[in-house]
Amino acid sequence: MKKLPHHWLIPCLFLLLPGFALAQTTLTGRVTDNTGQALPGVSIVEKGTTNGTATQGDGSYSIRLATPGAVLVFSFIGYVSEEITVGNRTSVDLSLQPDLKTLSEVVVVGYGTQQKKDLTGAIASVGNKDIQKVPVSGFDQALQGQVSGLQISNTTGAPGANTSILIRGVGSISGGNEPLFVIDGFPVTNSGIGNPLNTINPNDIESIDVLKDASATAIYGSRGSNGVIIITTRRGKAGKARIELDAYAGFQQMTRKIPMMNAQEYAQFVIDGRNNGWVDNVPTADITRPNSGRPASYRIPEELQDPSALGEGTDWQDAIFRNAPIRNYQLSASGGSEGLQYAVSAGYFDQQGIVLNTGLKRYSFRANLDGKLTDRLSVGVSLAPSYVNQQNLPTEGHYGNLGVIQSALSMPPTVPVYNPDGSYGTLVPPPDGYFPVQNPVKIANEYQNPANQFRMLGNAYAEYEIIKDLKFRVTAGADLNYAKSQRWIPSTLSASGAVGVASAAAAREESINWLNENTLSYRKSFGSHNLDVVGGFTAQKATIDSLSALATNFPDNLVENINGGVVNNGGQRFQEYTILSYLARANYSFRDKYLITATVRRDGSSRFGADNRWGTFPSASVGWRVSEESFMKGLTFISDLKLRASYGLTGNNAIGNYRAIGQLADANYVIGEALAPGLGRRSFSNNQLGWESMKQLDLGIDLSLFGNRLDLTADYYDKRNTDMLFVVSVPAATGLTSAVVNLGEVQNRGIELALTTRNAVGAFKWNTNFNITFNRNTVLSMSSDAEQIFGATANRGNTHVTQVGYPIGVFYGRRQEGIFLSDQEAAEYGVQPLARGGDVRWKDVDGNGVINDNDRELLGSPHPDYFFGFNNTFSYKNISLDVTTNGMVGHQIYDATFMINNSSVQNNTKYVYDNRYISPEQPGDGRFGRSIRGGRNNNTIYSSQYLFDGSYWRIRTVTLAYTIPAALSQKLKLQGIRLYATGANLFTLTDYQGYDPEVSNSGDNLLASRVDFGSYPMARSFIFGINLSF
Amino acid sequence: MRVSLIKLTCLALLLSGCGKDFLEVAPVSERTVANFYRTAADYNNAVVGTYATFKHPGLYGNGGGSLIWLGEVVSDNTDIGATRQPVNVASFEIEDLNFSLSNAYFNAAWTGHYSGISRANAILDRIDAATFDEALKNQYEGEARFLRALFYFNLVRLFGDVQLITKEINDPFATSQLARSPAAEVYQFIVDDLTAAEAKLPATITAANAGRASSWAAKALLGKVYLTQKQYSQAAARLKEVVDANVYSLLPSYANVFNPATSFAANREMILAVQYKSGQIGQGGALWSSWTPFNVNVPEFGITGGVGGGINRPTADLIAAYEPEDQRKAASLATSFKDAQGREVREAYPVKFRQLGMLAGDSDVDFPILRYADVLLMYGEALNELGQMAEAHLYLNMVRKRAGLADKANLGQAELRLAFEQERRVELAFESQRWFDLVRTGRYLPVLSAKGYNVKEYHRLFPIPQEETDLNQNLGQNEGYN
Repeated sequence: MKKLPHHWLIPCLFLLLPGFALAQTTLTGRVTDNTGQALPGVSIVEKGTTNGTATQGDGSYSIRLATPGAVLVFSFIGYVSEEITVGNRTSVDLSLQPDLKTLSEVVVVGYGTQQKKDLTGAIASVGNKDIQKVPVSGFDQALQGQVSGLQISNTTGAPGANTSILIRGVGSISGGNEPLFVIDGFPVTNSGIGNPLNTINPNDIESIDVLKDASATAIYGSRGSNGVIIITTRRGKAGKARIELDAYAGFQQMTRKIPMMNAQEYAQFVIDGRNNGWVDNVPTADITRPNSGRPASYRIPEELQDPSALGEGTDWQDAIFRNAPIRNYQLSASGGSEGLQYAVSAGYFDQQGIVLNTGLKRYSFRANLDGKLTDRLSVGVSLAPSYVNQQNLPTEGHYGNLGVIQSALSMPPTVPVYNPDGSYGTLVPPPDGYFPVQNPVKIANEYQNPANQFRMLGNAYAEYEIIKDLKFRVTAGADLNYAKSQRWIPSTLSASGAVGVASAAAAREESINWLNENTLSYRKSFGSHNLDVVGGFTAQKATIDSLSALATNFPDNLVENINGGVVNNGGQRFQEYTILSYLARANYSFRDKYLITATVRRDGSSRFGADNRWGTFPSASVGWRVSEESFMKGLTFISDLKLRASYGLTGNNAIGNYRAIGQLADANYVIGEALAPGLGRRSFSNNQLGWESMKQLDLGIDLSLFGNRLDLTADYYDKRNTDMLFVVSVPAATGLTSAVVNLGEVQNRGIELALTTRNAVGAFKWNTNFNITFNRNTVLSMSSDAEQIFGATANRGNTHVTQVGYPIGVFYGRRQEGIFLSDQEAAEYGVQPLARGGDVRWKDVDGNGVINDNDRELLGSPHPDYFFGFNNTFSYKNISLDVTTNGMVGHQIYDATFMINNSSVQNNTKYVYDNRYISPEQPGDGRFGRSIRGGRNNNTIYSSQYLFDGSYWRIRTVTLAYTIPAALSQKLKLQGIRLYATGANLFTLTDYQGYDPEVSNSGDNLLASRVDFGSYPMARSFIFGINLSF
Repeated sequence: MRVSLIKLTCLALLLSGCGKDFLEVAPVSERTVANFYRTAADYNNAVVGTYATFKHPGLYGNGGGSLIWLGEVVSDNTDIGATRQPVNVASFEIEDLNFSLSNAYFNAAWTGHYSGISRANAILDRIDAATFDEALKNQYEGEARFLRALFYFNLVRLFGDVQLITKEINDPFATSQLARSPAAEVYQFIVDDLTAAEAKLPATITAANAGRASSWAAKALLGKVYLTQKQYSQAAARLKEVVDANVYSLLPSYANVFNPATSFAANREMILAVQYKSGQIGQGGALWSSWTPFNVNVPEFGITGGVGGGINRPTADLIAAYEPEDQRKAASLATSFKDAQGREVREAYPVKFRQLGMLAGDSDVDFPILRYADVLLMYGEALNELGQMAEAHLYLNMVRKRAGLADKANLGQAELRLAFEQERRVELAFESQRWFDLVRTGRYLPVLSAKGYNVKEYHRLFPIPQEETDLNQNLGQNEGYN
């Protein structure tokens, strides 16, 4: 924030610019709607010229007329345009009437656009305002809670980290579940470091359209089954140059610390645990005997023997978390003439992470140009170079792998961050009686893992009108990605030994994805008949060439890259795939009431087996605009009513490259005391391998009441994904244990509701947007009804199962039935012969009197019963308040942090300390057993004990904005000034005990989702921003 | 404009690549099965890949594979020194003789051996048709047959009846109904393979080929197979060939057999060993660093990085089994170490595969599969069973003498059996022989139950892994595990 004056330089420069304009006749005024409310953003153009402006937040405008007395055209989406002859007036106030009859809002669909009223598919649109209200690096994070059916989870709070994006549930067990992203017509593939969507600056986005049902996505054929997200970036409009500066800056902090045991409590926990462990394991144990006579595992470290001598100790969370700055600057210009329009921008985004030494920086640029060369030929180009730089750390995962957060949670509070001599306090190598845990501050300071990515997405088109209404369009584009990452672990940093093995890694990846599309479109009205047809063919090819090298054997720590050691591992991986497609779609409407859409795409891809290379993906949908029928005319409170139905087939080609081709794997050995290369078969050939087939039914209703005061969209859908990519277990006698085949069926069905209400429309305005989604996921068939696919995340063992009759990846394990209150109670139970009082009691599921792996059962689901967004905007004159919230209800989270730290070696939460079993008189909460090291009952085995309700309702953003009155901003020679303050992630209502109910280590691993194991928590942020337009 | 439109269309068509070739994309950086098995070098790679099966976690891994657990830890020789944790439930099941059918060590052993068998089958299916140097072809065929026999021998000893797969399988579901073949049939297949291998394998292995099987390895293994089947005269005949050939001999120092400094040429005792090599090339062993005491790393271990895993911790019973003057004891195990503060910690651990100055998991010491001391003891045992007790003493005493022990004399057949059992126990400790020896002689039940182990008659075989019985209804389960 200290730098703020410096950043004011740029706006000051631009302040000078308007001064050069010539003095002309100036017209001012204010535009309102039919209720008298100010209408911002109304386009005002001097007819026959490129001279134009737009209204401000308070509806006011000011325009210098090129010709005195000219005709002005006022236009705004959803309202009837008006032409006003100015005459000799200097002020014109105007009230625009809503265009109720034609909901003319334009929605971007694949290979074209459609008016919202004509839609027969399930498509939701999000405008740029809703995308830009969250201070985040990627638009995917901003979409959370905005669209029904779209479930977005921030799996980690690390800057630039991945999100899990699902449209209408988890459709695939082994294939990809991410929707297809189409940026300005270019279907991109994910590549590079971190989250590839970070390369797109959210400020450049004009709108996002989410295509959900088969009618909408079948035009993307074998890539459509997970839904499609179409991103449209800002393009220039004819008119006066519009220059805008958006800037915000602020800071982030952690939302909550997990209360951990202090030094005194930790010591008591260790004493109890070691005593219990000794008595449990050694029949001759006697806790009155001296500590030194015990086996090492059960000895109590000397300094812990008197807990009362210890105080609070170190709070390791304070040591690794910090308040971290975030800032964003974007300068953009747009405008143009009838012949050439431009929109260019440059942006800089800098987010440091709340964990030490983590962060992300992005430099992004965009140039969108559109030219009309002749009456018939227009051309255009989009270029969007961006550069992202990330500082990563192994923040998540086990402390044995130097996980920073898990190390901080595990490190005993008795260890100082720094020793008196300035060296790091550590348990590496472990003193007698301890387990090795490295100092997380040391990890954060010494581990280096920078990564960066340069991306250039470029796309050019030419469109030629062959005859009237028949257009041929050809596009060619390329998505170029260059990513690199480095890693350096010095020998001073080890998870176990005093001296570790220094190692370095370097990776480079070049990915090139090019696309050519050729389409013919025809749009014509014949009396009551409207026809809109598009057809074409496309070719796309993607190559990924990645190099990696690992080096060890460093003589010293002086050269912190692979050059300093001996490169002894690595390689080059080259991957390529191609798609060739033919596509067609026809939209037909009769009397604007009866709507039909039919789509087909035929895709051939190199990914599919030689005998199954082409797939055909048809869909059809119908719509009935009931409100247009004459019998509805009397019902004036209904502004619009449309019924929709669609059915179609789409595919999922996210089955990986070369999966159909039998491959060999390295099977090296040592011959003659030297490395000898060996080979062995890795996979079967499957010439029949193909895409996953999704059949989807969608029934929807769009309803507007009371002059659009209330808009409701509701959909019911039923998706069946069949012929799934399946890595099926096969008998080992074949020589391999798995094969890739197409089989099985998964169903997602659900209800989506999106409700927008304009609650108050006077001077005080209040709009509410509420959406909610209920999705039910069921596996209908797999290779056999008995098959179980186990899922694991972060090496936490098999915690999830996927099997017929259940949702994908449900929690599966032993069920805890409480804690034995006494040895006697344990003995009476009988099936756990090694259990004593204070140990965990498990359900004997098969009732055979023995507890083992056969006593696992369904424990809960990581999938929510429903998720929702609830967003409100209030405004009064120049002040607006925007509150967005979202939530998920009914899912569970496996908190592995509780589990791993439960054996009196590492530190654990205060929650465990307070709720554990101590004696029959102090039995705890019945969830956490006695503190014990190496207990023979294995209390820490994965069970329902470690599952917690993850339901939450979160206030995502609160934004208070003030638009400086036009009169004042014009005195400053500015078109508009908007000041705002946003608090993000302010409050979360949840019972969850970990950092955050949303984060998980699972990432996109939906077979084992919602596993919290030292996950990077989401930050709370406070930012202050300004929008200036010139 | 019309002309340029046509041009544009043509360009678009051109870009689209058009047709079939555009969709034919073969891997560039991955090898495919389709263009393999053509040259001698391909076959060599395939054979090396078959040897690499030794490092599958279901065999020896890098020191913690299934055969370590199922050959040694399950017996009275060793246990696991780790603290009980959920992650090592499978390990303690082996230690406690309380097996669950889904125990990962059984599954790994099953899948690992069949993976090796499949690699050998792929070679043997094709090598007749291959056209390259006959001598090389013979060698590769011999090696593939030898390895296939060894893998089946392990399988049949671990699981009894097993599925007999003799050709490479390309349909993933081809064996989904296949039942197990009787052990006797499997043994016959092993004998056939080894008999063929013995004729095809070279008698001499050069240093450049260290690690490969010789015809002597085939004979020694055949001797062991016959001995296991109690076909003593055939066993004695094959083992006699190895002894009489005078190619192998006992090293004067027991410790040097396991010393990485002993060169291949000098190590005349090693007939076949799993090859380990340091240098962080993915081929290092953890026979030392994983077997040191659990969660400890002290300077005297000479290991950089990591902490011990406590695998194969010698039991008090094994420590007591060494006669007082036995030089092998100090070369095989230690009973204490000094911690960082210099205090003595009493905890036993094997030192047989010790290598000072190693990186954790990256040692050079090879792990013996067949060695000459084993051959001598097997030969003596076979002779004893054939009633030639006087000669049997000879071979027992050769091994004892090298260990610095006095000769045994005038033992009767029954006493000699026990003497061989005892001698094999200490001579071959930590080499994953103990359990197979006890089962082979049927002594596992009396020996282990006398020491308080929860051993049952049916433990002579391990259970068929549940993953496999789930996939094939016709596999059935071994007696006692249903």
